Amino acid sequence: MNALEVRGLGYRYPDGTAALDDVSFDLAEGERVGLIGPNGAGKSTLLLHLNGLLPERPVPAPAVHVFGTPVTEPHLAAIRARVGLLFQDPDDQLFCPTVWEDVAFGPQQQGLRGEGLAVRVAQALGQVGLTGFEERLPHHLSRGEKRRVCLAGLLACEARLLALDEPTTDLDPRGRRELKGLLESLPVAQVIATHDLEMVVELCPRVVVLDRGRVVAHGPTAELLADEDLMLAHGLERPHILRHRHPH
Amino acid sequence: MHRGLLEPYQNRPSAIHRLPAAAKCAAAVVVVLVIVLLPRAAWPAYGVTGAGLLLVAALSRIPPSRLATRLLMVEPFALGVALLSLFQPDGARIFAATVARSTLCLFAMVLLGATTRFSDILRVLWSARVPRLLVTTLALMHRYLFLLVDETGRMVRARRSRNYSRDRLATWRSSATVIAHLFVRSSERAERIYSAMCARGWKT
Repeated sequence: MNALEVRGLGYRYPDGTAALDDVSFDLAEGERVGLIGPNGAGKSTLLLHLNGLLPERPVPAPAVHVFGTPVTEPHLAAIRARVGLLFQDPDDQLFCPTVWEDVAFGPQQQGLRGEGLAVRVAQALGQVGLTGFEERLPHHLSRGEKRRVCLAGLLACEARLLALDEPTTDLDPRGRRELKGLLESLPVAQVIATHDLEMVVELCPRVVVLDRGRVVAHGPTAELLADEDLMLAHGLERPHILRHRHPH
Repeated sequence: MHRGLLEPYQNRPSAIHRLPAAAKCAAAVVVVLVIVLLPRAAWPAYGVTGAGLLLVAALSRIPPSRLATRLLMVEPFALGVALLSLFQPDGARIFAATVARSTLCLFAMVLLGATTRFSDILRVLWSARVPRLLVTTLALMHRYLFLLVDETGRMVRARRSRNYSRDRLATWRSSATVIAHLFVRSSERAERIYSAMCARGWKT
């Protein structure tokens, strides 16, 4: 069974502008796919569809299936437990007074309490390497730490599909390297929307190129990202790592 | 504005800090209740309470200047209310008593805030069955206050870097724009926070 199936997904903003048009792709369990494209291509809008935050109104035929379940109103609780959405701005996602409470938020919504909750939170914080940060306040954390707490909050829900919206944007090189290593170590399916093409080359065997709401290319990362004309035509560029094959 | 002044909590290795948060919250509420219920002219009782609070302050090892600054920050509100009492017969006495009482109450709260983490106070409120909506609102307010202050600082700096005019009207006008922008940004952020809450299973 596929972790994710998107079939002919279309979406218009309430003002009528087309945001997504006939988008289709699959993702196997444990697989990573890069979602790339210029600003305003519809990457974030697409991610919001993966756990039912969009569309606002139910559609007759759901275009997104997660682990075989259609993303529709009656299944939202189950879908949101399985799909972890990492937002662009970690400050939007960290809304609780302390790190512990924030990581515990998701499992609490699933009805977990007491010892079970404590174990789940401790495991998630351990996975992102932030054991000992339980009582820290979100506004005292660095950008990279905030991002990792957000990720712990998703792992604590036992998400099996992560939808990450520009996870490495505005991280310093160390924060970026740590986050990349972390994503690589997680055995769950991941959709990574990003402009960080070097990371895409290293993490994702496959990419979906999105422009103006349409899938303009879909295939092996090394092949597509090395295609200079394709990259330039869609506001991207061939990453350095694919230009020079010398080791450095 | 200084971020330090916004943050009431002062981490010190003191006996007062180590007391359970629930005990400190209860004690602060008791002090406020007693002062409110005392007759207006109970000056000896005010003195005893004040001395007790000063003792707690000394034990907490927080620099007195720090506590005084915080107290002065909130005092204008109490003074404003007290000033109204000057317009009635025997006003001066009522004014003095109101100022003394409110200062003691505020001092108790400043001490509580300085020796207890806000997140611990929230937990106490939560378990004391204070309405959920109120606790959630307080928690979100405390969380996003710092962000709002930082954001204001950045916008004001950006505005200053492009505004050389000494025309006061223009300055006011651009301040109004900053405030309007902050309002729009905050409401957009509120929407994103709500989405993030829903994404982790809120209300499903």
